[in-house]
Order: sequence, then C-alpha cells, then structure tokens
Amino acid sequence: MNLKKYLVRALHRLQKGPGYTYKELLVWYCDNTNTHGPKRIIKEGPKKKLIWFFLTLLFASLVFWQWGILINTYLSYNVTSSLSIGFKTMKFPAVTICNANPFKYSEVKPLLKELDRLIEAALERILQPTPGNSTENMSLPLDLELWNQIPLVLIDEHDKDNPIILDIFETNQTAVDNETAMDTNATLEEKKYKLAVKLCSQQGSENCTYRNFSSAAQAVTEWYILQSTSILSKVPLHERIRMGYQAEDMILACLYGAEPCNYKNFTQIYHPDHGNCYIFNWGMDEEALNSSNPGAEFGLKLILDISQQDYIPYLSSAAGARLMLHQQKSFPFLKDQGIYAMAGTETSIGVLVDELERMGYPYSDCTVNGSDVPVRNLYSQYNTSYSIQACLRSCFQNHMVEICGCGHYMFPLPEGVNYCNNEDNPGWAYCYSSLRSSIKQRQICIDSCKETCNDTQYKMTISMADWPSEASEDWIFHILSYERDMSTNVTLDRNGIIKLNIYFQEYNYRTISESAATTIVWLLSSLGGQFGFWMGGSVLCLIEFGEIIIDSLWITIINVISWCKGLKQRRARARYPDAPPTVSELVEAHTNLGFQHEPVGAVPGAPALPPEPGTPPPNYDSLRVQPPDTLGPDSDAD
Amino acid sequence: AATAPGKKITARLKRTLPVRGPQAPTLSELMRWYCLNTNTHGCRRIVVSRGRLRRLLWIVLTLSAVGLILWQCAELLMNYYSASVSVTVQFQKLPFPAVTICNINPYKYSAMKEYLYELDKETKKALETFYGFSEGKSKVRRSVDDWNSTGSDFFEQIPLLKVEDFSRTATELHSGQKRKIEGSVFHKDSSIVNSGDSNDIIGFQLCDANNSSECALYTFSSGVNAIQEWYKLHYMNIMAQIPLEIKEKLSYSAEDLLLTCFFDGLSCDKRHFTRFHHPLHGNCYTFNSGESGTILSTSTGGSEYGLQVVLYIDEADYNPFLVTSTGAKIMVHDQNEYPFIEDIGTEIETAAATSIGMHFTQSRKLSKPYSDCTETGADIPVENLYNKSYSLQICLHSCFQKAMVESCGCAQYAQPLPAGAEYCNYKRNPNWMYCYYRLHEKFVKEQLGCQQICKEACSFKEWALTTSIAQWPSVVSEDWMLRVLSWDKGQKLNKKLNKTDLANLMVFYKDLNERFISENPANTLVILLSNFGGQLGLWMSCSVVCVIEIVEVFFIDSLSIVLRRQWQRAKKWWSGRQQGRAAQATASDVERQGHENPACIDEDLPTFTTALRLPLPQDSPLPRTPPPNYSTLRLETAFTEQLPDTLELGQ
Repeated sequence: MNLKKYLVRALHRLQKGPGYTYKELLVWYCDNTNTHGPKRIIKEGPKKKLIWFFLTLLFASLVFWQWGILINTYLSYNVTSSLSIGFKTMKFPAVTICNANPFKYSEVKPLLKELDRLIEAALERILQPTPGNSTENMSLPLDLELWNQIPLVLIDEHDKDNPIILDIFETNQTAVDNETAMDTNATLEEKKYKLAVKLCSQQGSENCTYRNFSSAAQAVTEWYILQSTSILSKVPLHERIRMGYQAEDMILACLYGAEPCNYKNFTQIYHPDHGNCYIFNWGMDEEALNSSNPGAEFGLKLILDISQQDYIPYLSSAAGARLMLHQQKSFPFLKDQGIYAMAGTETSIGVLVDELERMGYPYSDCTVNGSDVPVRNLYSQYNTSYSIQACLRSCFQNHMVEICGCGHYMFPLPEGVNYCNNEDNPGWAYCYSSLRSSIKQRQICIDSCKETCNDTQYKMTISMADWPSEASEDWIFHILSYERDMSTNVTLDRNGIIKLNIYFQEYNYRTISESAATTIVWLLSSLGGQFGFWMGGSVLCLIEFGEIIIDSLWITIINVISWCKGLKQRRARARYPDAPPTVSELVEAHTNLGFQHEPVGAVPGAPALPPEPGTPPPNYDSLRVQPPDTLGPDSDAD
Repeated sequence: AATAPGKKITARLKRTLPVRGPQAPTLSELMRWYCLNTNTHGCRRIVVSRGRLRRLLWIVLTLSAVGLILWQCAELLMNYYSASVSVTVQFQKLPFPAVTICNINPYKYSAMKEYLYELDKETKKALETFYGFSEGKSKVRRSVDDWNSTGSDFFEQIPLLKVEDFSRTATELHSGQKRKIEGSVFHKDSSIVNSGDSNDIIGFQLCDANNSSECALYTFSSGVNAIQEWYKLHYMNIMAQIPLEIKEKLSYSAEDLLLTCFFDGLSCDKRHFTRFHHPLHGNCYTFNSGESGTILSTSTGGSEYGLQVVLYIDEADYNPFLVTSTGAKIMVHDQNEYPFIEDIGTEIETAAATSIGMHFTQSRKLSKPYSDCTETGADIPVENLYNKSYSLQICLHSCFQKAMVESCGCAQYAQPLPAGAEYCNYKRNPNWMYCYYRLHEKFVKEQLGCQQICKEACSFKEWALTTSIAQWPSVVSEDWMLRVLSWDKGQKLNKKLNKTDLANLMVFYKDLNERFISENPANTLVILLSNFGGQLGLWMSCSVVCVIEIVEVFFIDSLSIVLRRQWQRAKKWWSGRQQGRAAQATASDVERQGHENPACIDEDLPTFTTALRLPLPQDSPLPRTPPPNYSTLRLETAFTEQLPDTLELGQ
C-alpha cells in the first residue's frame, strides 16, 4: 500500500518537474548541516564567505587525508606486546633423556665389525709416517666391497694445482708409489695430505665428487656415519630398539618432588640420532604434571648411567647424556635444542619458561596447528604437535624421497618408501650430500614452513658440580649397582654416572603476549576524532551529505525528464508563448532581495494564491516562514 | 568626475578588505551573538536558559567542560612521546655471528722468556722468601739459578708489604724493614679486612713519584691475589714496551690454536679466521669476521650445522703467574662489535666438548626524544678509540683512556692508543701506576663523569647462549681420536697429544627464529589530532572551526571593539579640547548618540554633521514598514540593531 503510494508520488514528481534547484539545495544543506564549516559560508559576509569556503575545503581534504592514514595504519595490523613475569602453577616440561651414543656397542658389534676393521686398517695406513709404504700385515682380508661403495681417499696437495688423489687401499698403488716416494722428506716437515670422502652418483661412474676435510678426525667421523647409516637402515625397528639402551639400565633413580618415580614413568621413543630416548611427563596418555613450587627440592631428580665403556668408538666422540626440555606432546629435536650432561657430575638446571603468544593471521605470519603449511608433516606419526623443526625435517625428507628415491635414516619415512642403503641405492650418499649442502633446497623449506604462534622456550640456567664426591663414591656405586642387578659387583664408575636436577626457578614464567595495536574500535574513534576535530562532524553528517547527493541526483533526473518533455512539446507545437512559472521561480522570487521594494502584501500572499499548475513547494526549512532562532521580530519589541 | 573614481576605489577597497568591523557594537552584544550562533554546545544554553540558577549552572558546566578539555589535551600532549613495544619473530636464514676464540694464556711462555726472565726470577724469589715455596716441589720447568743477582728493581718500584695492624706499620716483605704507611688505604677486599684479622693482609704500596708522602696502600686478603696483581702490573709494564709485530709473533698462530674446523657441514680452515690482537689475551681468532666481505649465514639450525672446532691448548706453555686457569675464551658477537673478551667472554674447558646453543634477539630502542640513547655514537663527546661500531662498553673504555692520557700522560695497556699517545712504562712515566690506580678508583666511583657522558646504543644484537659440556673424547674413542688429531697437527709436533690439551667447541643456532624487539612510537600526529578531536567533541562538540570562531570573537572582535571605544574616547577628548566647555555637553550627547548609532561604527568615524544626517536611534520607533516576514531576510538580524554596513543589501 505504502509502496504504491510512494510510487504514485514519485510518478507525480516526475511528471511535474523539479520543485527546486541545485542552488537552493546547497544553500539549504549548508544552512542546516551539523558540520561546522558550511554554515559559515552561508552566514558570513562575502569576503569571509570566500575564506570560509576555502577553510571548509581545506578541512574536508585534511579529514580525508588523515582518514587515509588511519585506515592505512589499521590495515598494517600492528601489534603491541605486553610482558608478564611471575610465579604460578605451571606444567612441568617434558624431559627427554637420551644417551649420546645410540646403540650398545656390544649389541651392534656384529653389524659394524667389518666397518671397524676397515677403518682401523685405513687409519693404520694414514697414520704411517710415510704413506704409501704399504706393509701388509692384515690377518683377515678386508671387505673391500663395503669400502668401495664410499671410499676414503687421501689427497696429496704438494702441487696445489694438480692434487694427486690416492686411494688408501688402492689396487693401482704402484703408480702412486713413485709419486709419494719422492716427497717422503717433505711430509716430515709439512702436512700436505688431506682426507676426503669420495662420493659417486653410481658406483664406478665418473660422476664423482670429493668431499674435502681439513681434518682427518672429521673425515673419519663423517665417513663412518655414512657407512653405519647404510648398514643400520637395513635393521628393522624393533631390532634397533633392542640394541639401544633400555630404560631400566639407564634410569637408576628418579624422584619428582617428594614422590618417587622410576623408569616406568618414562615413555620410550626411538630417536634416529640417539637410539632409545625416554621422555618424562610427555602428557601423551596421562595428564601433565604440575609444579607449584620453585626450587630444586620440588623438581625432578634423576640418576642415569650412560655406560661409556659400551660406546661405539667411531660414531660419537663426545660422551654424556643428552637431554632436552620441551612442551608436552611435542617431538624432541635434540640436535637443535638439546644440551649435554657430563658424566661424573651433578648437573642442575633451573628452568624459566619463556613464552611468546602471538596473534595469527593477519597480524603475523604464523600457524596455530600447522594445518595450513604446504609440507606433509612426517612427525605426525609420533602423534606430536606441529613445530617448525618437524616441518623443516619433513620438508627435507620429502625432497630426499623425491630426488634420491629413498628416505634418510635420520628422519621418519613417508609411506611406501624405504631407507637408503648402499645396496639398493648405490648413489644415495652422493645424492644426500649434494642435497644437504644445497642452499636452494634449504631456502625452499624455510619459505614453505611457518613458525608456530605460541612459541615456548625453556631457558635453562645450568650449573655443574662433581658427583659423587670421593668420600661418598663407594657406597653410592655399590647401592646403585646392587639395585640394578641384585649383585654385589660394582658395575658403575665415574665415567658413566650422571645426576640431574631439573626445577623451576623462582620466577618461573615470562610471557610476552601480543595484542592488536589497532582495533576496529580504535579505528572508529580515531576517524570520529579526526572528523570531529576539523569539522565537528559525525556519521550523521555523512548521511546528510549522502542525502544531498541523492537529492541532487533526483533533481538531475527530473530536470532531464522535464527537458526531454519540453523538447518533445516544443517540437510538437508551441501552444503557449511562455511556459507557466514553476514554483522554483516563485521561490527564487522569495529569496530574491529585489522583491523587497514591492508592496508587502504581494509576496506573502503567495501561499494564498489559487493553486498554480505546479508542484507544491518543497518541504525545506529555508522556505518555511519560521524564525531561524528565538530572536524574532517579537524580541525586537522587547 | 575627478572625485568619483577616488570614491569608487575606496568603496572597492572597503569591499575587498577581508575583515570588516565586528557586527556587534558592544562586548555583551558580541558575546550574546557568539553564544547563540556558535557550534559548540553549552554556550547557547547559557543565553537561552531562564532563571539565574539555571544560567549559573550552565556557566559552571560549560567552564568545567572547557577545563576538562584543556586538562585532557595537556595530558595527551605530555604523553605524546611514549613508545609501545612490539616483538616480532621471524623464521629465516640467519647471519652467523662472529665467534672470537682466544687462548686464556696470551703468549707462549717459552717465547716470552727473554722478556720476563727477570720478573719471574724476582717473583719466585719472593715466593720462596715469604712463603717458603720452592720450585722443586712443583713441576721443574726451568732451572732456578742466579739468586744472587739482586736486581730487585721490581720491589723497589712497588714494594710488597705485610700489614701488621691498623696502626699503619708494615713490614716490607722484600727487605724486612718496617715502614710507616702514609696516605690512604685501598682495600681490594674490604669485607675480609674488616673482620679484623690483620696479620694475613698483604698488599703493595704505590707512591706518587714526585711527592713521596702521597702513597696509597692496596691490600689483599690473600697473597695469591696480591702476587698476581703485583705481577700483572709489572707484566703490563714490560709488555707496553714491546712493539705489536713482535707480540703477534710471540703469541699463538692460527695453526697452533685451531686443529679442526667444520662449519655448516663443510670443512673450513684458518683462512676463515681473522687474527685480532688483544692486549691481554694475545692473538685471538675471529671466525666469520666479515673482513673478506661476506658474512656466512645459517639456514639450518642444530649442532651439525654450526661451527665445530677443536682447539689446541698447550697447557705446558702457560705463564704460571699471569694466568692460573686453563682453557680458551670465546665470545659470540656481531661483526661490527668489538669483542670485549676479558669482560664478557665464556670460558671453555679442556678435555670436554662444549656445546653452545644460540638464540638470536635483536632489539631496537627509539632514540630522542623517546629515550636517551644514541644511534651511532656520533653525538657522544668521547672519541671512539676502537675501530668498531659504538657501544656503551667502547665509550666507557675510551673515556677512561682519554682521562688516563690527560692526567697521567700515557695510555693504559689494555685499551687502544689514542692518537699521539703511547703506552705507560716505568722508564718514561715512573708515576703511572699510582696515577692509574687513583684514576681507576675515581672511575669506579663514577667521579670521572664517564658514566654520565656515555649513553647506551639504541640498537643491539644479542645472542643468548645455552652452554653445556660433555666429556670428550669418550673413553673408547680417545685412543683413535688423539692419534688422528696428532696426525692432523702434523709431524712437527713430535709428541702425542694429550686430551687435556684439547678442547672441542660447537657453536650453533638452536633455532632460526629471530626475535626482534622494537619500540614504536605509540602516537603519531594523526592519532594525536584524532584524540584532540575526540576530547573536543565529547565535552563540547567543538572542532577547529569553533577554535577559529573563538579566536575571531574573543580576540579580533573583542579587541577591535575595545580599541574602537578607546579611539572614540580619545577623539571625544580631543574634540572637547577643541570646542571648549560649552560645546562639550552637546558633544557628549552626540557621542552617546553616535555610540548607539550603527552608522558611527565604520572605519571613517562620523563627524558631527554626518551624525545628524543619519537616522535616529531606533528606540524612538519610526513609522516605517515592518520588515518582510521572510526567513532569508531575518538571517542577518541576529542583533537588536542592524548595522547598515554589515547588511548585504548593496549587492
């Protein structure tokens, strides 16, 4: 009903033409708007009018400029950080404990026997004062096939430009012999030999690289790691777990606060770098433990045995326990974040939790759970949460599988792929080594991985003391050995035993949390402030302005229509010499100051005139004969 | 015809003059007009309200709103220079820091023999006479001979004393004579001295060479400290006389110190290290110093991808009196930063693998006017003696060195030389030690003004280190490891290496997260203006337009009204003098008329005759037509009296 009425009215308006002009509209707007500038344009004298016109323009442009700045600031999504420090009940971190050596040498010896013999023989040759002077005293024939897969070579750098490559167990030794014999004296004075690992893409192919080492110790270690990786990757997982250190052998005593705990409280995990690792308070099955007291008395105390005698001699030269504090349900990356604990000492670790809580997109480029990262997380098979280290390693392994066709032993396997070994993938070491040192590959991984939004670091204050003391040594070793295997034989010594204290410091947390520096409320109040500051305007003023624009559009439409009509009519026939005066003309007469000299009664009588064939006057205040303020002519009389 | 153009011009001028006189004849009228027409809220209420109480209430409210606005805006202005902190974490390829490695012992003892022979002999002699210590009980390093040659210069210069009591007598340990202590007593370890057991106190006395009555006694609770400090003074004295090239030769070479090097999975050698001579630590080697133009970076975290070095620490060649601990000192720092290894170095143990995990944090403060820090150090009046970028430490050291050169005439050995100065030694500056100790005392007590002059740097990089130690080499790998390392070392070393001569060091990034803590200005001009606008709008719905209005009305208009009145009064007084007493009465009448007469308020003030010609004041109603009832016409009639020259009728 209403709609129909409205439509009819609009139709009438269209037929009858505009009732007022642009100028009227503008004057009316300026006079009645709530923004402060325009009113003065109307009310002031002609010179001031001009000044106010420009001032208003200036202020309007200032407002828009500053609005632009504000919106830009908002869209840059800045954050402010707040820091809180103190003590509260917190989840005790998960503690991962590993032996620096992955497997017991006694268990793994059958597998590595050949390798050890090879390296011993090679070292024998290298360390001879005059290399090349081969005195064969090998009792058993060496497994040269294993050697030839990844051989170690000696590089003779007497001639800088043409280094001579000497294979240590080479068959074409005669050719080399001549060369080295001449330089026998020189070697005594200066070291000119370097060890290198020869890596070939295919065995026997020409496509080989030599990985140079400035130090023989480094070269031997690297070579041994490559070879043993190839051997051990063929061993099934349960066998590898069996060869590693068992919890009951390693964890001799455990105390959490005042509560006793034992090796059963630890979760076993197989870690490729360190063999069997044990995690305390991982929170996978049970609730994480809380700690509500600072100080060593309320922390975790452990006594470990790393049995240094059973280390693999060439694999790891550093001895000790490797441990790491991390969040519950996260995978321990010991190579990155782990620390060592030295044998024969008591290591105390005071923990401060340094937490960074960040806001996600769009404030910073971080991920909450890793689901939006384009890298398949291989560590999800451990049921652990996303971390940047997991992402980087998964990324590497995915590349490795793609390029080399097999997975590296140190990282989890994607489905349907096997670990690399020398038999199945003869070129894997070459492939791995080139991939590892490829900057491009690393950059791809860095670019595709995102850090997590909540970054928790455990800041550790590490201190050490000798343990056990000379006086207490005997009884402590006795008791611990007895508890382990119920015999009176002392199976422990200083080189294997480690005491650990892990506890919260007095101020146990420091949290940096982010909050948005610019919120939508901030934006609105700033926009309002700007508009108000320069022009005293508000949203309603904007709506007013919009209304005026709609009105002027309306006038334009009506004008165009009437002009078309007029054109048509004129073309058809000019019936009347003059068009009847529109109301707008009459209105103009109202505002026209020239009318003043006319008799008073003439114009005020306009409403009383017989209705003209025109639209009624528009409903604007300016046309109303109403006093603009309380001071009318009546107050004059006062 | 001649006057018409002139009038036209004046008329035109009048029209083009931007500001005409105020529209209200009196101040109260002006205020009334302002209050009714202003855009600010509150003022209008004062005029419109009826009743005295209500009006008063509105006056109070409006004034308090104005007060609040002023207060809040002042608050906003005062807090303008505040900063907010933001922490960003970026995961990226990180530049590897420079790692400076020094042997704790600065120079090979065997090579230093010729310089230190006399001093060592004296020291040993002192040890034997005072403490009954003889070399034979410890390792026999060198034959102790020539005890008779009493070249006891060292003791004459700085005598070691045993303080017997606080009555200030002391026995000279060397000669056994008693002597009175004069001057002030400086306690290096005052808490123990105060315990009263004065028998064990050992010290040495430093006297002003020019004025021997001015002495300072330095006491130590233990002879170990006293002997070491005493030795160090003499040692510095001797070293100051040896030129740098020779000192570099006396110290360890890169081949001596570094056995193996491994970075980011690749071998490195001594070419990756830059030598840097430290006055107290001899030759130090900086890995990745950036001197070759490239700075290495790490794109993978973890111990395998960092720097791994095995250091050869030749313990047998240590100076027994200068250093008493064995190992190496390392420091992780930025390439542009000077390594103050004696201040903030980390010590590395031998026969162990030290693994140092790093976490990188970069901080940036806002400089003036937000905080008192310096970006480059260029605004600090202390010359940077170090060839590195500014830091507070550098400034303090440079400042001390400057003061030292100024007051003692020579430079202290541990810090670089300023231009034109040379290091202190006895021969040239017999007085320097006394001077140095005095100055150092002053420096520590902040009397030199260095702590006031030096400002902290605005941005700094920090590597938080997590250090842990493992046994290395392990029991089972020791054998082959030592053999291979001996081979690495080369045949010129004939003995087999001992594991206590070796230290393994791993420096790596724990993660590639770079924390960037930065201060940002909390306010910008735009925000300040928005806040102003918010305050103005909240309390009074005011804007800059209102401010302009206020300026216009309260300053320009009010002032011109007042001035005009003064001008008229002056004119009246003048005309009164001119016309005499008789005319004064009428003149005052005319003036009164003219005052209320709107025509009088013009730039050219009315004369008597023009005033008479003008229409009479309106309080006597004229028979005229009532004004037309149009709102457009009434817009201008805000005042009870309309000034003709402000009407726009002439258009």
